[in-house]
Amino acid sequence: MTPDAPGPAEGAVGDTSERIRYLDEVMAEIDAEVRRRRASGDLPAGLEAELDELFLEFSPVGLQGRARLRETLALVDGSAYVDIAVPTASNKAVGSYVKRLIRKGLGWYMDFVVAQIVKFAWSVSRMFHVVVDHVEALEAAVETHRSPDLPADAVPAADPGGGWWSAAAVDAVRGATDRVLVADCGDGALLDALAAAGVDAYGVDPSDLVLEPALARGLDVRAEGIVDHLRVVAGEALGAIVLTGSLQWLRPNEREHLLELVATRVSVGGTLVLHSTTPEGWAASVPAVVRDLAPGRPLHAETWAHLLGSRGFAVADAVRGGADRTLGHVDPGGPDAGAVNAAIDALNELLLGPTEYLVVATRER
Amino acid sequence: MTAVHQFVPALLPRDATGDHTLALRDAFRSVGWDSDIYVEAAHDELRDEAMYFERYPGRARPGDVLLYQLGTSSPVADFLLGRDEPLVLDYHNVTPESFYAGWEEHTAAKVALAHRQVAALAPRSVLGIADSAFNARELAALGCPATEVVPILVDLEVDGGVVDPSERERLASRHGDATVLLFVGRISPNKCHEHLVGALWVYRRLYDPRARLHLVGPSVTPDYAAAVLAFAAELGLVDAVHHGEGLTAAELAAWYDDADVFVCLSRHEGFCIPLLEAMRAGTPIVALDAGAVGETLADAGLLLRTARPATVAAAIDRVRRDPELAGRLVAAGHRRLDDFAAPGIRRRFVEALGRVSERTRVVA
Repeated sequence: MTPDAPGPAEGAVGDTSERIRYLDEVMAEIDAEVRRRRASGDLPAGLEAELDELFLEFSPVGLQGRARLRETLALVDGSAYVDIAVPTASNKAVGSYVKRLIRKGLGWYMDFVVAQIVKFAWSVSRMFHVVVDHVEALEAAVETHRSPDLPADAVPAADPGGGWWSAAAVDAVRGATDRVLVADCGDGALLDALAAAGVDAYGVDPSDLVLEPALARGLDVRAEGIVDHLRVVAGEALGAIVLTGSLQWLRPNEREHLLELVATRVSVGGTLVLHSTTPEGWAASVPAVVRDLAPGRPLHAETWAHLLGSRGFAVADAVRGGADRTLGHVDPGGPDAGAVNAAIDALNELLLGPTEYLVVATRER
Repeated sequence: MTAVHQFVPALLPRDATGDHTLALRDAFRSVGWDSDIYVEAAHDELRDEAMYFERYPGRARPGDVLLYQLGTSSPVADFLLGRDEPLVLDYHNVTPESFYAGWEEHTAAKVALAHRQVAALAPRSVLGIADSAFNARELAALGCPATEVVPILVDLEVDGGVVDPSERERLASRHGDATVLLFVGRISPNKCHEHLVGALWVYRRLYDPRARLHLVGPSVTPDYAAAVLAFAAELGLVDAVHHGEGLTAAELAAWYDDADVFVCLSRHEGFCIPLLEAMRAGTPIVALDAGAVGETLADAGLLLRTARPATVAAAIDRVRRDPELAGRLVAAGHRRLDDFAAPGIRRRFVEALGRVSERTRVVA
């Protein structure tokens, strides 16, 4: 609260702290009640997600791409016809007679005006049909440029958040004022850590198979890709987003789209935590077939900082971690040890440094 | 003579901004200031209370201070940007356009324009008065040189919350002793009525199978309102969700009085006057901590960190089952109302505008 915002009455400060403590205790008991209901099976895992999905069925934002385009077009077609036959029903017999009289008297005039309106509406409708046909042709053309699928067993499993960066991620989102979304949450390891820290978090992962352990533990997880999920999340609805996993496979246009969504769905003052493999670490760890056919490549931490900064995020320095593959120095007393160790430092810097990093950013506008 | 003239896009009766503008005008006049209201449009009932803003240039006097009631887009904003008088913004917040995207594109475009106008006006103003610290932060981030938090003038003493007994009786006869949840606010995507319906469904499943949800407010986004009602129908709640609008003050007081818990799950609120109305009615409040809701409510309600139906339902049940908690919330609500008492708010507005006028005269 700012100093000039209305606060509690003077003299009530002592009471206020007691009241706040009391309400905190009540809230803790309410949270415990929810956990008890979940554990007892009264609230099956995924029930709340099903409610969200059900509402989307009635929402225009739930319809995507072609379906939404065609539905809107049908609306235009349906509205393009203007009925000249004004209803003449009335509760009073004389009312109906008068209405019919007016309709008949104005018929020649209305007919002239309505004919022009309908002509205009159908022209507009026709134009939209041409545009939609064109858009669908474009979509078909774009589809032909799709990358070949990677062999599933060649793609290394994503780290769901149980690794070196878990504690830093939890610290970064602790105190989030809205829900925290974990992308590619996998078995829910990071969700467990967030729950233990008192953070209200849920997860999405495109693979329902990897979600099974999380579902079995009663975690709020949904079998959905991060982009598809963020499309239907309300603006500024999330206190923080944790991105990991598929981030490094995104095509440039997908990455741009994801960033646009993240920048509007996380609230101002909210946090974005981004975990990724370094390009060098990625190249060294994936099989050649993945290296050649992957639709996208991981970015350097500095590049993410640039991309996020241009979208209104303040970015803290990246934290490096992961497998340490650096070479040790040779005995400094040996022949040419100075030159060899300098070469080793250069190699470590260029190719063999930490293989992963964590970027934490705060949305400023 | 001090002169503070107000500009407002639309002056409407029984409207929070309209009532606020008229009350401020009266407050300024009561201390001997010259004060008129200039509008883009006025309701027939209030036509004699205001003038069209285009008439101001012919009536402008040296030393005038202009106060803009800002909550939507309007040509008035562009007009004020072209004026030289000291400008004070009274900012009531504009809902982010992202809430309307997909639901109502013309409203999304309208609020996007409003945001552009706020961004242009904020650095041009000498002071930004905001209903809440939440709103003040937005103004400050947009370059407003100084901000002050003074809540909107809501004179709850005017009608005293008198309950229409026949409306109260009519409501009670429909639900007997079933739990009644109430939310008051326009049916708009940022208010998240679908979460209220979801919470009702879970509450009925776990705690009271006969519980009802009463929604009061105009359906300003028809597609969204239709989706909320279709969602309720799909969940088998057609008879459990009751919608009212166009109520008189006494009828609205009856709906508050009839409710067991006031539930607000809005994602974006710049102040939230219905919270004060619920406090006055003695209806315990359960609310999502979003936007300015937390600061308006303070400790006068259960503030939730999530709108998940299970948590909302459990909170409602706790309030229903725990008379001590309900009593403490209601008592805190009555205390909290003192902070928003109209005489104090009026005085703070007069002081803030008086300081601006004084500075203007010194500079002149």
